[in-house]
Amino acid sequence: MGTARLIAAIREFANQVLGRGDATITVPSFDGALKPNQKLEEADLLLKCAAPEDLATDGANLYLADGPRLLRLERDAATEIRAFDQPISALACMTGGALAIALDGREVRVYADPSASKPRATFASGLSAVNALAVAPDGMLIATDGSQKRGVDQWSTDLLDRGRTGRVLLLDPASGSVKTVASGLNYAFGALARRDAMLISESWRHRVVAMERDGSTTVVLPHLPAYPSRLSLAAAGGYWLTAFVARSLLVEFVLREPAYRRRMMAEIEPQYWIVPRLRSGESFKEPLQGAHIKTMGVVKPWAPPRSYGLVIRLNEEGTPLYSLHSRVDGTNHGVVSAVELDGDLIMIAKGPRRILRLKIAPLDIEFGA
Amino acid sequence: MSDTILALNKATKLYAGVPAIDCVDFDLQRGEIHALVGENGAGKSTLTKVMAGVVALTSGTMTLDGVGISPKSPLDARNLGIGMVFQENSLVPTMTVAQNLFLGQESFYNRLRGIYIAAQSFLQSLNFDVSPTATVGALGAAKKQMVEIARAVLHRATVIIFDEPTASLTPEEKKYFFDLVGDLKKRGVSIVFISHALEEALMLADRITVLRDGKKVVTDDAAKFDRARIVQAMVGRDLSQSLYGVRKTTVRRAGERVLTVQNLKMAPMVRNNSLSVFAGQITGVFGLVGAGRTETFKIVAGVLKRDFFHGGEVILRERPVRFRVPATAVRAGIAYVTEDRKVEGFFETASIARNIYLGLLAKFPAGRTLLSKREANTLGSDWIARLNVRAIGDQAKVVELSGGNQQKVVISKSLVQGPNLIIFDEPTRGVDVGAIVEIHELINRLADEGKAVVVISSYLPEIMALSDRVLVSRQGKVVEEFSALEATEEKIMYAAIH
Repeated sequence: MGTARLIAAIREFANQVLGRGDATITVPSFDGALKPNQKLEEADLLLKCAAPEDLATDGANLYLADGPRLLRLERDAATEIRAFDQPISALACMTGGALAIALDGREVRVYADPSASKPRATFASGLSAVNALAVAPDGMLIATDGSQKRGVDQWSTDLLDRGRTGRVLLLDPASGSVKTVASGLNYAFGALARRDAMLISESWRHRVVAMERDGSTTVVLPHLPAYPSRLSLAAAGGYWLTAFVARSLLVEFVLREPAYRRRMMAEIEPQYWIVPRLRSGESFKEPLQGAHIKTMGVVKPWAPPRSYGLVIRLNEEGTPLYSLHSRVDGTNHGVVSAVELDGDLIMIAKGPRRILRLKIAPLDIEFGA
Repeated sequence: MSDTILALNKATKLYAGVPAIDCVDFDLQRGEIHALVGENGAGKSTLTKVMAGVVALTSGTMTLDGVGISPKSPLDARNLGIGMVFQENSLVPTMTVAQNLFLGQESFYNRLRGIYIAAQSFLQSLNFDVSPTATVGALGAAKKQMVEIARAVLHRATVIIFDEPTASLTPEEKKYFFDLVGDLKKRGVSIVFISHALEEALMLADRITVLRDGKKVVTDDAAKFDRARIVQAMVGRDLSQSLYGVRKTTVRRAGERVLTVQNLKMAPMVRNNSLSVFAGQITGVFGLVGAGRTETFKIVAGVLKRDFFHGGEVILRERPVRFRVPATAVRAGIAYVTEDRKVEGFFETASIARNIYLGLLAKFPAGRTLLSKREANTLGSDWIARLNVRAIGDQAKVVELSGGNQQKVVISKSLVQGPNLIIFDEPTRGVDVGAIVEIHELINRLADEGKAVVVISSYLPEIMALSDRVLVSRQGKVVEEFSALEATEEKIMYAAIH
C-alpha cells in the first residue's frame, strides 16, 4: 500500500513537471455532436429583459425569473406576477401548481401558487448560492448550492479560486428539513430528477454526474469543452443541458497559475480578468484581443471564446445528440436555462439578456435525433 | 532556320519488349512552352528521358535543328544544349549553390571565391534571388528548383525539360516558378514540361501534347483545349464528373470516436491542436503548407514526437497513447500513407511484393514473425490485383512503376496491416487523373467499410469531393470544421488564411 502511494505521488509530481496526466492543459474540441453551428443566432427573440436568470414550466405555464420579478410568459409577452426584494436565482414548478423560488441564492421559498402571499415553506439556513432547483418524484426539492463561500453572482471568483465547496441538497417542503446529499463539488450548477436519483452539473469539472441520494456518483457526461449548467427534461425523452460559458486554453492555463491569479484578482478590475464571461467584446481592455479574435474588423467565429452560447440535447443515457451554438461572432451568449414547451425550446441568453425560442421539430429532423 | 528546334519521329522505346512509347511524333518549336500531359504510365517521362539522353530509343529518330542526334548520356545531351530538370532534384545537398552550379566543370584548381563571384553574377543575370554561398540542403523546394534551372541555363541549354516542376512547390513558389519560365521563354529557350496539374498546362503552355498508353493522342494549341478535353484525351473517357465535378449531397454519419487529439504541441509547427476522427467517415484536413497538418498526424502515427513538456494528448479509442515509433502505432491499428512516397513510402529497388510484405512485417501477423517467399509473393499478387497496380508482375521493382502505381503500392503496404484508422497524406500528389479516380474510390470504400479515414490535402477540390467533414488547419491547429454539405471553397479558404 505504501509503495503504491509512493508511486502515485511520484507519478503525480512527474505529471506536474511534464504537463501530463491530470496536469495536462487540454480542452476538448467542439466536434461530433458538439460541432458548432449558429442555431442560437437563428432563434426567435421573444423578449428582452433586465436580468433574466431562470425558467420553469409546469407544462402549461412558463415562468421567468427576471431580477426580482417573477413573470409569466405567454407567446411573446410577459406578465408580472409578483416581485421580491431580492433577485431570483432559481425557479422550479412543483406538483399542484406550487412554485419553488430561490432568492439571491440564500433562501428558498415554496409557494402554493405563484401569486400566494405567504410561502408554504422557507429554507434560509446555511444557503449561499442556490442556483438551480428541481423536483424529485417524491415531492422533495433538489437544490444545487454552487459555492458555500461565494454568492451566485460571484461565480467567476469561485472559478478563479478553484472553488470546491458546491453542494447538492434535498429540501423537504413538508417537514422543512434539509439534507446534504453531496458536498465538496466544483460548483454544482444544475439539477434534474432522474428515476430515483438525480443528474447534477458540476461546472468547474466540466461534467454531468448521476448522483444517488447517498451521494455516490457516476459520471454521465465527462470532459465537456464548456462549463455545464442547468438541465431540463426533453419531451421526446432525454434532456436539455445548457452550458453558460465555453472553456479556453488561456483560462485553463491561468487556472494552473495561482500566483498570477491572486495578483490579477488583487490588481485588475473584475470585468477584465482572464475568466469566462457571459458576454464579451464590449471593451478593448478585455483579454484576448487582436488577430486572435478579429481580422480586418471581422470577428472570427472560431476564435478562442471569452463568451459563448451553447445548449446540448442529451439522450436518456446522457450522450449528446446535437447542440445549438452561438459562436464567438454571435450575440446570444451565456445561455443559462432552456426548457421545452409545446414543441418550442425557450432559452435565456443571459449575456444579451434575451429570451429566445427555437422550434424543436426541425432541429430533430436536421440533426437526425 | 526552321522553327522546329527538336523533333522526334516515330520514336519507340521498349522495356522488356513492352513499349513505353510507341511511334510517337513530337516537335518542339523555338521559344515555345510545350506541355506533355498524360496518365501515369502514358510515356511522358520516357519521352523526355529520350530527349535528355537518359535512355536511348529502340527505334525512330531525333533531330535537333534538323540534325539527327542520339545522345548516349545526359552529358551528351547537355553538350548538345538539352538540359533536364528532374522531379527529384539532382543537387548535392551538402554543397553550396555555387558548387552545385559548377559541379562537373571543375578545373584542376578551383578558387572558391571565384566560383562564388561567377555564380553571383550569373544568378543575378537570371534575376534569381538565391545566395551562391547558401548550402543547398537549407533551401526550400522553389529555390532548389531555381538552382536546377540556373544550372541548365548555365550549360547554355536551348531546350530545357521540366519533369513535374511544380509538384513540391507552394502556391507562392509556383507563381514564382511561372515567372521564371516566362523569362526563359523570352530568352529564346524552348521548354518542355510534364505536369499533372492540368490548369498549369492550360495556363502556361503554348501547345499541349497528350499521350496515352505510350502513344500520342493529340498535339494542339493550348487555347484550343479545356480541362475536359485534356482529360478525355488522356483517359479516353470523360472523367470530369467522376473526379471533382460532383458535389456531395449526403454525408456518412459519424461512427464511434476513434481518435481524439487534444492540445497537441510540437513547436513550432503544431500548436495546441485539437481534433477528433470518427469511424465510418472521411475526415478531410485542409490547410496551406505549413499549417501543421502532416506533423499532427505524423505524431499520431508515431513518426514524429510531440513536445516532451505539455505536449498534449492523443487518445485512441478512449485510451491515451504515446507512440514513440511507427511500429507501435501500426500495431494499434493506425496506418499513415505518406505524402512523400519516394523518400518515406517504399524501397524503390525492391519488388512490389517485397514492399507490401515489408508493410506487413511492421505489424507481425498473429503468431508469425516471417512469411515464406511464396506467401509474400502471393500477398503481393493479391494486393496488386485488389488495387489494380499496373505492372509487369509482382516482382517488378517499384522504381519502374509510374507515380500512380507507386502510390497504390504505398497504399497497399499500409492496408495490408489491417488498420482501423488510415491517414492519407496528399494521396494523389503527382498521380494522374485515372489513378486519382481509383484512389478516391478506394478511400470511399474504406470509409464505407467503417474505417476511420483521414485525408490531408492541399487541393480543395479533392477535399470537397472526398470529405464527409472538413477540418481546416491554420498555424498549427484546427480552427474550423465544416460538414461537406455546408462547405464551400470560399468558406474553407477564408478559415485557412484568417
